[in-house]
Amino acid sequence: MSTPTVLRGVDKAAFAVALGTRLRARGIPVGLTGIEDYVRALVAVPPDSRARLYWTARITLVRHHSELAAFDAVFNAVFDDSVLQLDPNARRSPLGGAQSDGERFVGVPGLSGPDQPGSGLPWATLPSVIADAEDSDSLAAIPERFPGRLAALAEVPFEELNPQQMQVLGEWLASTMSTWPTRRSRRQRIDRAGHRVALRATIARSRRTGWEAVELVHVRAVRKFRRVIMLCDVSQSMQAQAAAYLHLMRALALTADAEVFAFATTLTRLTTILGQRSTESAIEQASAKVVDRFGGTRIATNVRALLASHHGGQVRGAIVIVASDGWDSDTAEQLAAAMARLRRRAFRVMWINPRAAAPGFEPRVATMAAALPYCDALLPANTFQSLAQVITEIFRCSGPR
Amino acid sequence: MSAVFSDPDDVQQRLDEVDYLVDEGLSTALFLAVTLGQPLLLEGEPGVGKTAAAKAVAAAIKTPLIRLQCYEGLTVNEALYEWNYQRQLLTIRLAESHHDQIRDADLFTEEFLQERPILRAIRYEGSVAPVLLIDEIDRADDEFEALLFEFLGEGAVTIPELGTYTAARRPIVILTSNRSRELHDALRRRCLYHWIDFPSPERAAQIVRRSVAAARDPLIASTTQFIGRVRQFDLDKAPGMAEAIDWVSALSVLGATELVRPDIIRTLGAIAKTPDDRDTIIASLDELGFAASIPG
Repeated sequence: MSTPTVLRGVDKAAFAVALGTRLRARGIPVGLTGIEDYVRALVAVPPDSRARLYWTARITLVRHHSELAAFDAVFNAVFDDSVLQLDPNARRSPLGGAQSDGERFVGVPGLSGPDQPGSGLPWATLPSVIADAEDSDSLAAIPERFPGRLAALAEVPFEELNPQQMQVLGEWLASTMSTWPTRRSRRQRIDRAGHRVALRATIARSRRTGWEAVELVHVRAVRKFRRVIMLCDVSQSMQAQAAAYLHLMRALALTADAEVFAFATTLTRLTTILGQRSTESAIEQASAKVVDRFGGTRIATNVRALLASHHGGQVRGAIVIVASDGWDSDTAEQLAAAMARLRRRAFRVMWINPRAAAPGFEPRVATMAAALPYCDALLPANTFQSLAQVITEIFRCSGPR
Repeated sequence: MSAVFSDPDDVQQRLDEVDYLVDEGLSTALFLAVTLGQPLLLEGEPGVGKTAAAKAVAAAIKTPLIRLQCYEGLTVNEALYEWNYQRQLLTIRLAESHHDQIRDADLFTEEFLQERPILRAIRYEGSVAPVLLIDEIDRADDEFEALLFEFLGEGAVTIPELGTYTAARRPIVILTSNRSRELHDALRRRCLYHWIDFPSPERAAQIVRRSVAAARDPLIASTTQFIGRVRQFDLDKAPGMAEAIDWVSALSVLGATELVRPDIIRTLGAIAKTPDDRDTIIASLDELGFAASIPG
């Protein structure tokens, strides 16, 4: 075992507590257990290099993957940007007032004020770097809005919204979907409220009571989320609405485990792309992936393509939402045939149409009129408020819970 | 505290002997877990070798690996201990036939105790502590986590009828999680934590070289690079280390010496696990430098 070259002569406990405090200030919940582990680890693994010190601290102090980035920032701020106070000025007033050379860098957290950068650490850290590292994430946050203003914004038609407003409304939409309608699955699980007696489990439990079935075990069906499949028209005529519908699709993909597709002339699956964490990059990549964006529309062809693809099986028992204005280059007969197939396979079919919100709207486009008999609902969707109503409608039509 | 390993470099070397390559982070984590006697929680994407780490430690220090695979509905009876009800019943019958008196205390003794993995790890009698692998803890229910607290915190199991069993040598406990749900903070607090990153292409190549002895170096290098590129796409399931090893084995079984388009398409099932991933990878083969025009 080599002699440690890092942290020589430093009070390990004081150092660990100071680092823990620093990490806690950055929002990493370092507990006393973690600090104790860290001190024991420092004894077990004498830190002879920066890498070893890093791993020892990370393994014992961090308990969550999401905290790793913040930990790295603090660790780098402490160990990369720190300077030992060797200039004459610092020598005149050593930290903690210790005398001997070995003890000079002992950190004494109590003596330095809490607002002083690098407080409690056995050396001074450059103030600018620390300030940067600690403020960086607060700048990027979206300002919070009052619910009242959000509601007013939700009434504004899509054409008049800018991308930032749309993003805020998209997040609001996702937040309205905290629960989701379920369907009965064929799996069963033990539940006191169940109606059916589970023979196998009852017998197994009777083993403890001399094979007398004293305690009856009941089961009931497991309920699963009802799947949603959304097809969104991104052709020229839907240009203004497509961006907003992408937000609805993202909200569905994230909360309801939906399969989402965009189409104009060909079908593009967007489920994986829209499932990403960051809204901006998800929407950006989705727009980039749809190559035939704002071309012509072939609704019937794309519905057929969906049913023929290997996602066709997922339509079974699902709620299918078609978002389009109904202008189709395929003939009305083709669309009627495709919609009839879709209707037979799906649980419910809903059509959302941005034009349906206009007063005195009538489905006079031949293709829209042909598709309508096979839809359970035709809903207007020109504002985020109406998209929220689409979600309410999904709840209503999916039957009793 | 047993001196199983002398320092993290020793861990690295000993695991190297059993063909498991570790970086400094994992070797430090394993060393601390063994030396401090604390459970180690390993997280990481599927297929980065979380389970293999536990197996390698057991092989390196030549001690049995006791494995507890978690699943939904796992209870105390499958994880800790259970009473042997049949034998108890037989004993009662026997006592009745001999007109003996029998008391509760006679029935709840070690004789009627059936050990399950955790109790077995605690009562293990050997010179070196066993390795207990609690695999995919995120699959078990929340209640099961709470059941583990006593064991993880104190290395003890309490059986109401018998008392508390404390391990003579604390077993080396390794928990793995695929993050299908969040684990409770109380569980995290009791463990050391290490996140295993996906290895860089060079390191991946080293690992594959160890696992698939028959494969040629150019094949391994191009395969691991290919995997590294593919992982940047939006896939339903990104290929991990295990998939890379499977793929190289598949390719070398087919006699491939370097990566060419027809071979990729033939063996794509080893890395693409959904039809969509398959389509995505095939569509981007041109971009990755495997154009269809190459005669193959």
